[in-house]
Amino acid sequence: MARVMDHYPKLERFEHPNIVTTTADLVFNWARSRSIFPFTYGIACCAIEMLSSGFARFDIARFGWEVFRPTPRQCDLMIVAGTVNEKMAPVLKRLYDQMSEPKWVISMGACATSGGPFYDGYNVVNGVDKIVPVDVYIPGCPPRPEALFHGMLQLQKKIQKMSFVAPRIDEGDELALASLRGEGERAVAPAGQTDGRLPTNAAESQEVQ
Amino acid sequence: MGIEIGAVKLTLDELGTRLQGEFGDDLVDLRVQEPDTLVARVDRHKLHAVAAKLKGLGEIAYDSCNFVAAVDYVTHLETVYHLYSYSTNTYIELHVEIDRDNAVCDTICDIYPAANWHEREAWDMMGVRFEGHPDLRRILLKDDWIGHPLRKDYVDLVENHPNV
Repeated sequence: MARVMDHYPKLERFEHPNIVTTTADLVFNWARSRSIFPFTYGIACCAIEMLSSGFARFDIARFGWEVFRPTPRQCDLMIVAGTVNEKMAPVLKRLYDQMSEPKWVISMGACATSGGPFYDGYNVVNGVDKIVPVDVYIPGCPPRPEALFHGMLQLQKKIQKMSFVAPRIDEGDELALASLRGEGERAVAPAGQTDGRLPTNAAESQEVQ
Repeated sequence: MGIEIGAVKLTLDELGTRLQGEFGDDLVDLRVQEPDTLVARVDRHKLHAVAAKLKGLGEIAYDSCNFVAAVDYVTHLETVYHLYSYSTNTYIELHVEIDRDNAVCDTICDIYPAANWHEREAWDMMGVRFEGHPDLRRILLKDDWIGHPLRKDYVDLVENHPNV
């Protein structure tokens, strides 16, 4: 096992679970999963079901998720409710980037998941997961509010498994280390080209040129 | 104040005869389409003059442009103008045949400002270039889109889909 701190001195995570992390995890996950602020991102008919789930008949407030915010800065969940087209795609990406961590994405309905009935459309992005990472997919065209709630409860379960403990990383697992530093797969040089140092984004871009 | 809808009581046949008298050969194949529409073909060089004259007809003026459409007939393109007259409560449809390879048509948005965005849409989807239009940009698709997707021979390019 490599010591994560060696590679990432400013890491604000524990390396092993202990009495602090278990309790803190419990408290933070409890709070996070029960007071999600969703982003008002209704872009087609799924939005009608999303709005409907906010009203008294279905009452999203039972789950503590009712605070829809019109600005990405105050949100931690983006419910993509509708067809994403090519002109909207860069806007969606930008709004997702503006959300503060930790953040999640729900792909609501057939269109956001795969393009749905507009799969062959010339201006339709076939799935929002081509632009942003998606946590939960909800099928349906459009899904009823109950389906949205089911998806939200799945996301709650996912959030409750989050932890402050840094993931264990084996010696030489540079992919995982790069991922830990937020550099992703592209930062890793091909095998055999590393000289003990971890590759950086700058080195990678030079190789490409 | 305002125009009383249908204030001028004329049957479509009477209206057609009167318009044919006003315009002569400029309105080709003028015919009645029940219940409330007159249909005519117009030469593309005469379109602007015809539209201006239709708007200035006084008590039977066609004072509103409801829609500008474009149709791809493979052999040629056609732009279709739906004009509406409040005073007679009737429509007139102007069909303008244009060349497919050199799709140019005169704008009427200096006469009917409502035609502005409709003509932009026709340019976006069908590639009809409206001469004299003040701001002929794409309206629905991205600015750097290649091709005009509602043409029958449109081929979608990968460049249009950077995320896939």
